[in-house]
Amino acid sequence: MTQLEALLPLDFCSESYKDAYSRINAIVIEGEQEAKDNYQRLAELLPDCKDELLELAKMEYRHRKGFEACGKNLQVTPDLEFARQFFAQLNENFQAAANQHQVVTCLLIQALIIECFAIAAYNIYIPVADDFARKITEGVVKEEYSHLNFGETWLQARFPEVKVELEEANRQNLPIVWQMLNQVDKDAKVLGMEREALVEDFMIQYGEALGNIGFSSREIMRLSVHGLAAA
Amino acid sequence: MFGLIGHLTSLEHAQNVAEELGYPEYANQGLEFWCSAPPQIVDTISVTSITGLKIQGQYVESCFLPEMLAGRRVQAAVRKVLNAMAHAQKHGIHITALGGFSSIIFENFNLQQMRQVRNIKLDFERFTTGNTHTAYIIAQQVEKASAQLGINLSQATVAICGATGDIGSAVCRWLNARTDVGELVLVARDQERLQRLQEELGRGKIQDLATALPAADVVVWVTSMPKGMVIDPGLLKQPCLLIDGGYPKNLATSLQHPGVHVLRGGIVEHSLDIDWRIMHLVNMDVPARQLFACFAESMLLEFERWHTSFSWGRNQISVEKMDLIGQVSRKHGFRPLLV
Repeated sequence: MTQLEALLPLDFCSESYKDAYSRINAIVIEGEQEAKDNYQRLAELLPDCKDELLELAKMEYRHRKGFEACGKNLQVTPDLEFARQFFAQLNENFQAAANQHQVVTCLLIQALIIECFAIAAYNIYIPVADDFARKITEGVVKEEYSHLNFGETWLQARFPEVKVELEEANRQNLPIVWQMLNQVDKDAKVLGMEREALVEDFMIQYGEALGNIGFSSREIMRLSVHGLAAA
Repeated sequence: MFGLIGHLTSLEHAQNVAEELGYPEYANQGLEFWCSAPPQIVDTISVTSITGLKIQGQYVESCFLPEMLAGRRVQAAVRKVLNAMAHAQKHGIHITALGGFSSIIFENFNLQQMRQVRNIKLDFERFTTGNTHTAYIIAQQVEKASAQLGINLSQATVAICGATGDIGSAVCRWLNARTDVGELVLVARDQERLQRLQEELGRGKIQDLATALPAADVVVWVTSMPKGMVIDPGLLKQPCLLIDGGYPKNLATSLQHPGVHVLRGGIVEHSLDIDWRIMHLVNMDVPARQLFACFAESMLLEFERWHTSFSWGRNQISVEKMDLIGQVSRKHGFRPLLV
């Protein structure tokens, strides 16, 4: 039988690694920043959950600081302009939904899609990270589960009313995620992260979240692969 | 609650099944897509023992395909097995069988070392390879089907292809200890392991496949090949009993010859109908009654409330453990498929 190929050790100081890291690190920094902004916006839209959401926003801010330290540790300057472009479409959709008080769509984008993606990416990154970044990321990923849990709990409690909007928001936003993934495919690989592993972990996490909210297995299979084949 | 982790036999098979089950998103996709597909619980199962006990189970489709090994997508194969195990554990399944290639991948790629799957620490006590029951059933098939065909085991040559594997070595141990089989022929690729097995048994002739096949009255095929292989039936003795214990079946479809009897190895028949869909999907002849013995092992462990990894590790299946699983297999109404 085929043998497991020995993985080449990563050279965290090589130019190619640092070049790829400048974009991936920027994405996580920008992602955490936008998450903080999004939870603050959600706190305005959901005054009953204001304290909890502001607490989540604070955590995201701490995560951002942690990832900035990871970049500094490797003497990498994050390419934040690239990262802003990277999130532009998803961010635009979030803002548009927030302006129309579409809380369900906002939660799907931030608390489900982005959180699941972050959890998947961090879990795939941890085994191939440098020692410093590994410790930071392990701490972050534990907290991200609680953010995912907020969205799940809120949506689960209102499942019959929110189901249709969730499906529509999924249809609009999930294909954007696959395209985003394509953009960082090569950089992620330089960091030792395989695209198919990322997609699989995302689908597992997202599928679980949809299941907790109330979707059936059949619905989950359909929703979680939407737009993947075309990406 | 018992669980079964399984997979389909090829990409084409997977595409057809997805189509049949009404998942067009999965049906039209190539291997790349399946390499990223998450595990799914696609069937819930209810089984009744002849003692009257009733248990519930779930089938976890790992989305592994044998093409992943053939195409060197080993990382994907490993992920499929670990993710399916984590999925089973997360769903509170007490004992789950690792069907088909799942246990082979677990063993060959040393997944014992990869216990942490995201935020789940795998509890290996909740899993069994099911190989003890498979080995027991194959040994029973050798004894009973050879008698059906008029092959006298005490004068017969039995060739075990894949003799050094977990199932192959257990079948050798059984035949050595519990039968008066005339000649035991050991066939495998690894010479060192073959020597060790021969020493352990204190008997057995080591031969290559080309030498072993024409001389065998009974051939037990328990290799782990991702694709089938063609054997020229004209080269075999007549009568010859060929027990194909591979999944996907390595030989059955390619051999049709009078005097050569191909028996699907490691398959059991239950005395009562089982309410499920998956055995239809893997093209069992009698889907409500027939199933893989490794799957049946997790049912037996659930019936007996032995929530423990009854079969685990490599080449540790003793004749005593085969006896024990054999007893409860009969007690609950399972019997080996015969000719």
